[in-house]
Amino acid sequence: MSHVSLRRGFTAAALTGVLALSLAACGDDSDGGGDSDGSIVIGTSLPLTGEFSQPGKAAQQGYEVWQKMVNDDGGLIGREVELVVKDDASNQNTIVADYNALIGQDKVDLLLGTFSSLLNLPASAVAEKAQMLYVEPAGGSPDMFTRGFEYLFFTQQATSDKQGKVFAEWVAALPEDERPETAAYPTLDDPFAAPNVAGIQEILEAAGIETVYEETYAIDTKNFDTIVSAMKSADPDLVVHGAQFEDGIGLTRSMLKADFTPDMFYETNAPSFGSQYSDGIGVENTEGVVYAVSHSPDAATPGNAEFVAAYEDMFGEGEVPEDAADAFAAGQVLQAAVEAVGDIDDQKALADWLHDNEVETILGPLSWDETGAPTGDFLIGQWQNGAPEIVLPEDAATAEIEIGWHPGGAD
Amino acid sequence: MTELLQTLLLGLLLGGVYALAASGLTLIFGVMRVINIAHGAFVILAAFVTYWLWDAYGIDPLLAIVITTPIVFAVGWVTYKVAVSPLRTAPMASTVLLTFGLALVLEGVMGELWGNNSTAIRPSYADESFTIGGIFLPKAQVYGGLIAVLVLALLWLVLTRSWLGRAIRAAATNPASAELVGIKVASVAALVFAIGIGAAGAAGAITGVLYPFVPGSHYQWIARLLAIVVLGGLGSLNGAVLGALLFGLAETMTSAYWSPQWATAVPYAIVFAVLLIRPQGLLGTKLREDVVAA
Repeated sequence: MSHVSLRRGFTAAALTGVLALSLAACGDDSDGGGDSDGSIVIGTSLPLTGEFSQPGKAAQQGYEVWQKMVNDDGGLIGREVELVVKDDASNQNTIVADYNALIGQDKVDLLLGTFSSLLNLPASAVAEKAQMLYVEPAGGSPDMFTRGFEYLFFTQQATSDKQGKVFAEWVAALPEDERPETAAYPTLDDPFAAPNVAGIQEILEAAGIETVYEETYAIDTKNFDTIVSAMKSADPDLVVHGAQFEDGIGLTRSMLKADFTPDMFYETNAPSFGSQYSDGIGVENTEGVVYAVSHSPDAATPGNAEFVAAYEDMFGEGEVPEDAADAFAAGQVLQAAVEAVGDIDDQKALADWLHDNEVETILGPLSWDETGAPTGDFLIGQWQNGAPEIVLPEDAATAEIEIGWHPGGAD
Repeated sequence: MTELLQTLLLGLLLGGVYALAASGLTLIFGVMRVINIAHGAFVILAAFVTYWLWDAYGIDPLLAIVITTPIVFAVGWVTYKVAVSPLRTAPMASTVLLTFGLALVLEGVMGELWGNNSTAIRPSYADESFTIGGIFLPKAQVYGGLIAVLVLALLWLVLTRSWLGRAIRAAATNPASAELVGIKVASVAALVFAIGIGAAGAAGAITGVLYPFVPGSHYQWIARLLAIVVLGGLGSLNGAVLGALLFGLAETMTSAYWSPQWATAVPYAIVFAVLLIRPQGLLGTKLREDVVAA
């Protein structure tokens, strides 16, 4: 094959590959359909394949539990709920096509959001343009709420820049001899993780804790040894790591390999994945790791016990993923608005109601400001004796917070 | 100085594993002119097989390479016979589409078999390092790097010192003439595809120990591997090794001396720059028809 024809071949291959990716990812794994037989059709697109498939699958489970509980209870305003779930393959372009299809072709009655800020950013723009309510379970980047959207609502307790606030304020208030003097802030270049770390850093710097390392790494970083080597040289007392999941495991394992064990270790997201986290870094190395979390299976919030029981009934006993609980809460918020307004035709009325009211969910009471950003505080978790505990705020705590990360210290 | 040495060693160890993973991809292209987009998926498949052997039977994941590689080799052989062979002489775009589809199928199968949760293989030495002076060398990475060198040396010996290697090179250089001297090019192609996938299998066993993975992790791998083989020169085994080492070094050096944020972008920029100067890659061969076309 000549050089020119080879190049043409590559171009054609690339174009067709992209086309195939789009077509494959647009695949619908449900039967779809608009509203016809009195049922309410709710559409969503989730990352069921690709890099975010882990939370995507969990979110699908959460939505399905909510759908079943609503239907078992007589439906939403007396009508059966149908879910149309598309797979966006963790792709920002695909998700735009998916939500356009949900609105334009499937003609769904209501929308539910997808997973991660990366995907919710474009998806929520499609919903806003169509003037449809967009309740999203996981898209806490502050960037989501600077666009003046009226139909967008995030159904966790706080945006990502405020998720570590309770922890940071606790550290800042520690007695001087217990408080770290220096801190390192490695973070994933991600609209969720980076603001999360920045929020903590701002509070700790204001409290006089010196920043000795601060770097952002790219989303497809696999090897963390060089980052850890640089952090180790800086010798911080506290590491605040802005992570999703795989990079959370990767960086922690690199820290262990380099025998770099700072006095305190806070990590976003990854430690909230239960046994997946402890399997990933070794349960013995989890002791004292601190993280922010939206849901506790043991919380005494209204409907939480029923949700946990229904989840276990549908998907087997074991850990209830936080992402499933967040998706369930999104369903609860949508349900509250529809039941309060009494119909689904006026989406503006649904949005207005949510702006004006508080909703009880399994995550606790949620309310929103004019941008759709929630106004509450996150729970703070800590791994203790090989199990996750809620340690802050005190009124929700299942255990007292302990100072220090002790790899090798848990059973 | 210590930091520089530390960075260089980490880069070379990283590049060694990249080299093993990329070797099969370049081998398959060299002989068959097939760009195997599913190569990253086979790396992840091998990681899952290794996990299964380690989790169910307690077999050390790096020693399990002697089991994982033949299993993945067999999967490669069957894949070739069932899916790739009918399109072997089709335009390159067709095989790109085919192998892309194959990658999606493999991702789905792995998701069904092992789930979409993140999986990590942690043998006892996974979080340990050798410490020499102020330098730390992660044990798993050192062992993985040594195994990669061993497998690559074996592959090189087969390709350059055996009858099979001569047959493979003949089939790659001039298939028609190779047929005339009694080489069954179709059989050689099947064998090369399986060997290439087998090399991905060995790499998958190592990467499974080094990094957590999910079925969708193959997207990250195929992007890197394609860049490496293009940098080294499509079809050149030596080029793939050189490209991989440079890629690994570029990642670690950028991370250490510029910013981790650019650690994955700079190697691709280097690939781009090299291709502007040498379109055939560092060790790629410029064929007669390329000159004519130019």
